[in-house]
Amino acid sequence: MARSAKKKTSTKLIALSATNKAYEFKKPLEKRFKYQGKEVDVRLHEDPKGFSYIVWKNKKYMLDVIEKKQNRYTIMVNGVWHSFTVETPVSLKRKRYLEKQADSSAGVTIEAPMPGKIIDIMVEEGGEVKEGEPIIILEAMKMQNEINSHITGIVQKVSVKKGESVMKDDALIEIKKA
Amino acid sequence: MDVKGKNFTRFLERKQAHNDQHDSRAEAKQHSKGKLTAWERLDILFDEDTFEEVDAFVTADKSDTGFGTVQKAFGDGVIIGHGLIRGRLTFAYAQDFTVMGGSLGSVHAAKIMKIQDMALKMGAPMVGLIDSGGARIQEGVASLAGYAGIFHRNVQSSGVIPQISVILGPAAGGAVYSPSITDFVFMTDQTSYMFVTGPNVVKEVLNEDVSFNDLGGAGVHSKKSGVAHMVFPDEENTLMGVRQMLAYLPSNNMENSPEMELSADETADVEEKLREIVPDDPNKPYDVKDVITHIVDKRSFYEVAENYAQNIVIGFGRLDGKVIGIVANQPKVLAGTLDINSSNKGARFIRFCDAFNIPLLILEDVPGFLPGIDQEHNGIIRHGAKILYAFADSTVPRITVILRKSYGGAYCVMNSKNLGGDFNFAWPTAEIAVMGPEGAVAIIYRKDLETSDDPAARKKELAAQYRNEIANPYVAEERGFIDEVIDPAETRTKLIRAFEALETKHVDNPARKHGNIPL
Amino acid sequence: MKIKSLLIANRGEIAIRIIRTTRKMGIRSFVIKTAKEPNAWYLEEADEIIDFSEDFDDIIPEFLDIERIIKSAKKRNIDAIHPGYGFLAENPDFARRCEEEKITFIGPSHDAIYRMGHKTIAKELAREHGVPLLGGSPGAVRDAEEARKIANKIGYPVILKAAAGGGGRGMRVVEKEKNIERMFTLATNEAAKAFNNPDVFLERFVREPRHIEFQILADQHGNVVHLGERECSVQRKHQKLLEESPSPALTPALRKKMGEAAINIAKSVNYYSAGTVEFLLDSDNSFSFMEMNTRIQVEHPVTEMVTGIDLIEQMILIAEGEKLPFTQKEIKLNGWAIEWRINAEDVQSGFSPSLGTIEKISWPESENIRVDTGVRDGSVITPYYDSMIAKLIVYGDTREKAMQLSSQAIRKFWIKGTKTTLAFCRAVLQNSNFRKGNFNTSFLSKELKIHYHNEPDDALLAAFFATYDYAREINENEEKPLHTENGKAITPWVLKKRLR
Repeated sequence: MARSAKKKTSTKLIALSATNKAYEFKKPLEKRFKYQGKEVDVRLHEDPKGFSYIVWKNKKYMLDVIEKKQNRYTIMVNGVWHSFTVETPVSLKRKRYLEKQADSSAGVTIEAPMPGKIIDIMVEEGGEVKEGEPIIILEAMKMQNEINSHITGIVQKVSVKKGESVMKDDALIEIKKA
Repeated sequence: MDVKGKNFTRFLERKQAHNDQHDSRAEAKQHSKGKLTAWERLDILFDEDTFEEVDAFVTADKSDTGFGTVQKAFGDGVIIGHGLIRGRLTFAYAQDFTVMGGSLGSVHAAKIMKIQDMALKMGAPMVGLIDSGGARIQEGVASLAGYAGIFHRNVQSSGVIPQISVILGPAAGGAVYSPSITDFVFMTDQTSYMFVTGPNVVKEVLNEDVSFNDLGGAGVHSKKSGVAHMVFPDEENTLMGVRQMLAYLPSNNMENSPEMELSADETADVEEKLREIVPDDPNKPYDVKDVITHIVDKRSFYEVAENYAQNIVIGFGRLDGKVIGIVANQPKVLAGTLDINSSNKGARFIRFCDAFNIPLLILEDVPGFLPGIDQEHNGIIRHGAKILYAFADSTVPRITVILRKSYGGAYCVMNSKNLGGDFNFAWPTAEIAVMGPEGAVAIIYRKDLETSDDPAARKKELAAQYRNEIANPYVAEERGFIDEVIDPAETRTKLIRAFEALETKHVDNPARKHGNIPL
Repeated sequence: MKIKSLLIANRGEIAIRIIRTTRKMGIRSFVIKTAKEPNAWYLEEADEIIDFSEDFDDIIPEFLDIERIIKSAKKRNIDAIHPGYGFLAENPDFARRCEEEKITFIGPSHDAIYRMGHKTIAKELAREHGVPLLGGSPGAVRDAEEARKIANKIGYPVILKAAAGGGGRGMRVVEKEKNIERMFTLATNEAAKAFNNPDVFLERFVREPRHIEFQILADQHGNVVHLGERECSVQRKHQKLLEESPSPALTPALRKKMGEAAINIAKSVNYYSAGTVEFLLDSDNSFSFMEMNTRIQVEHPVTEMVTGIDLIEQMILIAEGEKLPFTQKEIKLNGWAIEWRINAEDVQSGFSPSLGTIEKISWPESENIRVDTGVRDGSVITPYYDSMIAKLIVYGDTREKAMQLSSQAIRKFWIKGTKTTLAFCRAVLQNSNFRKGNFNTSFLSKELKIHYHNEPDDALLAAFFATYDYAREINENEEKPLHTENGKAITPWVLKKRLR
């Protein structure tokens, strides 16, 4: 009683950038892809010093994988890094759907940009905050850094205390969009 | 047989009816929620064209239970069967949310029990894809009895065949107990959740407002409760993750895990980088995962429960193609101390590896147990004992490498020689002592420090002396508690050879029904 | 007195830079090894290493431990100590202790360090010697209330600055009266933490000045010259990101006036050794004295490139008591030099530090390119010290040429292992106002819209590579065959265990 065999692998993979731009590539992925209608050969080289680079339109681009976790990638090309998640058409649809859901309810979590100590917290739960307003003073690398809110809204949650030490990316304050 | 005759036509019609049952509207609804259908999931999980469904035409007993109607659908909302995963026989069931919300009725449960029995008989892994609204209320106690039967088989199979639960939707109420008994729980971010009592009841009884995700989503279970071992951003990755994990596991407790060839770019066995990772300063943190990735075969480290109790790292890896289980203290979280959560995380993993003949590698850098009223009042004594028991009770080969600190009780607990460690190595940076130098000298030289004119400097001096003369690993080496202090660069070679020597290890524990591990 | 041995109380690129000169002069160099960087490059360049790394829980960081450094120098009979920049370079106590212990301090007198180090004293001296100044508080401001009073009098915006230090720390601009209390607290806290002295003073804030500084050299015989200016207006939160010499904003006449003012400042404290006088240049070409840095500066190479003078060598000769080998007339500025600071910072996340290991670093070599660095393959950028990877100094006959060569050099400067500010440098070179020499200290915040240069194809290549790698990994995981025990012979010993 086997079910008729269904093709399980999709023919496309999509790299979704942090700015929500989708780059589609057809499988199988060789060291070449279609660009502006033409098939372009993108050879990955390793130079004698061990740097990886791509030759593209006759120019050398140094390329490096900075971070790689499950399907999340951060790639540095020529000194600028770009973050992507690699999706299949199905998972991309799912992502879009979940984002639409999240938009309405959740808030924005402000995270610690670097490890340090919380010197001062200028807001409290339930209070209003405007975009650009400073909400936390974080001491790190001998400097007192002001962390500002990047949206206008109501403070949902203050996850840290004065004097507490935090690591990079730790959740500090949750703000719900006004 | 006449292919146009009654017999064959009837057969084909029935097959067609089965296919027609497939409700494309309900499927679209599933997709629109960001979820895949049961069939799509099985297609991803199993090797192409190897899945054989069992009991496809079974239906619910009666459509009118006297307490509401039950849709009489082929399969009763769950697909069971067997297939190959990476060429190896595996059994699975996949609940179908599009049929009565995937709810569990007596026939649905009977199907699951049937496939569990088969898996146990054939000695092959059992994977459950869970996506169910829970017990079918209309069928009353029969549904509950169904669950109990499933749990019973989960327990019977525990330690006999690997069992993996993949939560791909809701798993509420009693339904959560099957996953929690199985060996590993996989969840998909944002579209799966597990809880015993749902938000509605929580609101009613305690007047607390909480969303599904906040109460029992993948984040909660992977970070806070430790119920979920692996979390992935979407279903495809989740199922691929299951495939990946199964490659590290044997099919049953009588076999060894399958071996894998080394990658083409596997480098020589001398890894000089290992010398640089652990700092000489015992208070400087580092990431033990760096050590792990440089010891195991390239790209072979599969971490389990990454987000829970991060002060201990567990996972599978390969050494020369052969699977090992790794338990390592993580100095960059809580200074690598052992606490309640990490003891639980480590202990269960050790028990799993022991049950399934997976040798253990312990990388040790632990200053002790986490102090505090919270830990003490919540029973660190009991929980810490779990990991000790798990090590001592296990009969698989187990090798410890002390990377840096190893103080007091934690030294004993982390697979020390007298706990039955087969080989105990140490790096030159190792410090083995009853307690840290500062604490030790404060006690031993109390009088000296009291009468000294610069106690702080004297303490520093004595601590350095203590560190040098007493806490160094050579003292332990000379007394046989450490087999050898090794060059970090040679760790991989030493371990490969050591594990090879231990391949035929055979230990008999005294006959008993089972021990009484502190719980 | 000839110096035969020199202890460099510093690390990284400046230690290596100083050693380059000591080698030239036949002086034996000593450096300090710390537990924080046991494998740093500078240790291998020196003739001898003084090991401070055994001490793990030191309360005083190694390079700030005056007594320990002096003790080490005395033990080995070292003639002189060069403090580099930062750390103890502008600590008058250190200079004084060296003097007391008869160790030659390669720098000015401790008195000059003290007086110029105290911004309020320095300003008073400037006033006495007829050097133009900005209005503000006469000395340190006692509290937020006093700050408010003075600020209200001279008019907003004002800036609060740490009296005992610089480098952007302990500094806060106050735009409106209602912010003065909060800014006062922030500034004093930061100043206390950074310089052990919470004193701040207040001055009028010139909104978009150019930051121009003059290099001073003076000997112990009263001869003082200036070696031209450096343009340092491209800054972020008062930290310099790139410098050039000369400045596109200065005419020869203005250079002469400012140079003389700089010399007057130096003379006011009987200065000797190398030093830098900082000015703010307003859009109407009026300038005011800011402060004097009584040490060698990070950006000294650009001056060396256009004057051909080895500043470290001069510092040592001056310390030996030699007279300056040139007069002001003999100093000529030839060509143009630009220094690009390459830091381990993530420009796309607001220049946050990007710590880690520099796996590989490589740059193009040519006679017009000078790279001062303490980093080589495998070096670790730690959180204990600054995030500087290297200084790329490019020289050209003209500014245009220097910029062109900079563009090429930056494109070929490859670093693998951390995020860097290289893309920022490229963004600067692409900016038309920068190319025209038309910029001031507001350049980064106002002029440069995007802080990193991004070519449109970059993202596409990155996306492709990510996808390619992902697909490859999946294939690899899937494709590798698994060898189970089926068909393999199992030894009886193992079989016995399993059948138990």
